[in-house]
Amino acid sequence: MSGPDRQLFDLTVPPSSAAYLREAWRRRDFAIQVPVQDLRAQNMGTALGQLWHLANPALLVGVYFLIFGVVIDTSRGVENFLGFLIVGVVLFHLTQRVVQDAAVCISRNLGLIRSVQFPRILLPAATLNGQTAAFVPALVLALLAVLVTGERPALRWLALVGVLAAQFLFNLGAALLVARIGATVPDLRQLLPHLFRLLFYASGVIFSVDAFVTSEAWRRAFALNPLYDVITCARWCLLGEPVDGWVVAGMLAWSLVLPVAGFAVFRRSDQRLGA
Amino acid sequence: MDPTPAVTVTVRVSDAHVYYRVYEEPATGFKQLFSEGRAKRRYRTIRAVHGVSLDLHEFETLGLIGANGSGKTTLLSAMTGLLPLASGTIVGRSRPSLLGVSSALRPALSGRRNILIGGLALGFTKSEIAGRAEEIIDFSGLRDAIDRPMRTYSSGMRARLQFAIATARIPDILLIDEALSVGDEDFRRRSAERIDEIRSAAGSVVLVTHIMAEIERHCDRVAWLDSGVLRAVGEPAEVVAAYLDSAAAR
Repeated sequence: MSGPDRQLFDLTVPPSSAAYLREAWRRRDFAIQVPVQDLRAQNMGTALGQLWHLANPALLVGVYFLIFGVVIDTSRGVENFLGFLIVGVVLFHLTQRVVQDAAVCISRNLGLIRSVQFPRILLPAATLNGQTAAFVPALVLALLAVLVTGERPALRWLALVGVLAAQFLFNLGAALLVARIGATVPDLRQLLPHLFRLLFYASGVIFSVDAFVTSEAWRRAFALNPLYDVITCARWCLLGEPVDGWVVAGMLAWSLVLPVAGFAVFRRSDQRLGA
Repeated sequence: MDPTPAVTVTVRVSDAHVYYRVYEEPATGFKQLFSEGRAKRRYRTIRAVHGVSLDLHEFETLGLIGANGSGKTTLLSAMTGLLPLASGTIVGRSRPSLLGVSSALRPALSGRRNILIGGLALGFTKSEIAGRAEEIIDFSGLRDAIDRPMRTYSSGMRARLQFAIATARIPDILLIDEALSVGDEDFRRRSAERIDEIRSAAGSVVLVTHIMAEIERHCDRVAWLDSGVLRAVGEPAEVVAAYLDSAAAR
């Protein structure tokens, strides 16, 4: 004890951005452990239990395998269409899950927000970590599927790490923005599935944009779509599909700008979220 | 506030105002949305806390009483920094912790896993919790039930677990919002011991309750909130008597 002169600080003034990030980092275990425990809770009481974390992506990949590999035999201008499809679906699915969950991460934790003082950024961060962890089995299955469909590992496969890192950063930024907007406009939750359905087609998940879009200007327009950029780059890594500089630049720009913008927007209203 | 110079203040609330804006009739249909517009929606400002000044001292438990809706919970929230003040200041030597971890806990998971989740929500690191888990289980008195899903617990058992987690690291300033009343006699004894521990470590405890026996048991001073205004602070017996008189007069 330092006696009666011990300094009193203002409890109602929010911390500086640096102090905020320090505190968030100190509490990082929350954003890692809580989503892991939630993933565990998710499948409790089901017959397969924790196996669902593997069975779910296996079914996702399996359904596309069945429809486009067995039922409809088409290449649509792509050499390894099945591999092409699965890489696209799995990566698209990751961002979709992160963003849709982030939209409700504030409203789902109102009780916690109203009783514990902590940097709210931990909530979208936990969402991101949880979905990213759930994505790992899907990624492994996608790699297996790519091998099964005849691809051989090449040096460019290593670049996938960079692509996934870029997607992670993009997802972080998107999660922060959507969490912020979703906290005040709950309607966003209803809109997002439709937005993602639109993005699904605009990202060339189940068809090759190159095979359909011939105009150079339109191809550049596609490079503005972050999901198209990420998926196209990942396809280059794993399948050797063509990629141009605009797409790579688009992916890098999104992954650098969005997390900063997302943090700025989220941080500004941190204390008011859910209050 | 207090004329005695010997007391050391842990938290000082000065002329604090907390207002809520409550919209009377939220726009429910397209017609309202377009005909009135958002700006024109009528709202009332609720003065949840209206000009409260109050000091917390070292080595003390302060009881906070008042009717439902008198602003007790709002005042606690403002003291933790959870609610912005419309005006006034709240200063303190450390950030008070509100005993409200229950909202973080997951009913589907076992008590043991919830100790991890609740501890993390309160700002412990994973290793800190691992080091204290056994102590928390012992203190909660739930060793037999600790690996059962929490949804199988009674409300008293949940309160025990919550209290054990929240006080795993003795907080300097603890705010308790009606969290003790659901427990049995054994839990009351344990929680009383914890509160004494905080107090004897030069901390402060604020206890919101409607049970006057709890006030008698724990509190050195009592504050009475009435419609967001502090009606009286002082000797528990006097303030409680005044409060009960006023409640009976209604």
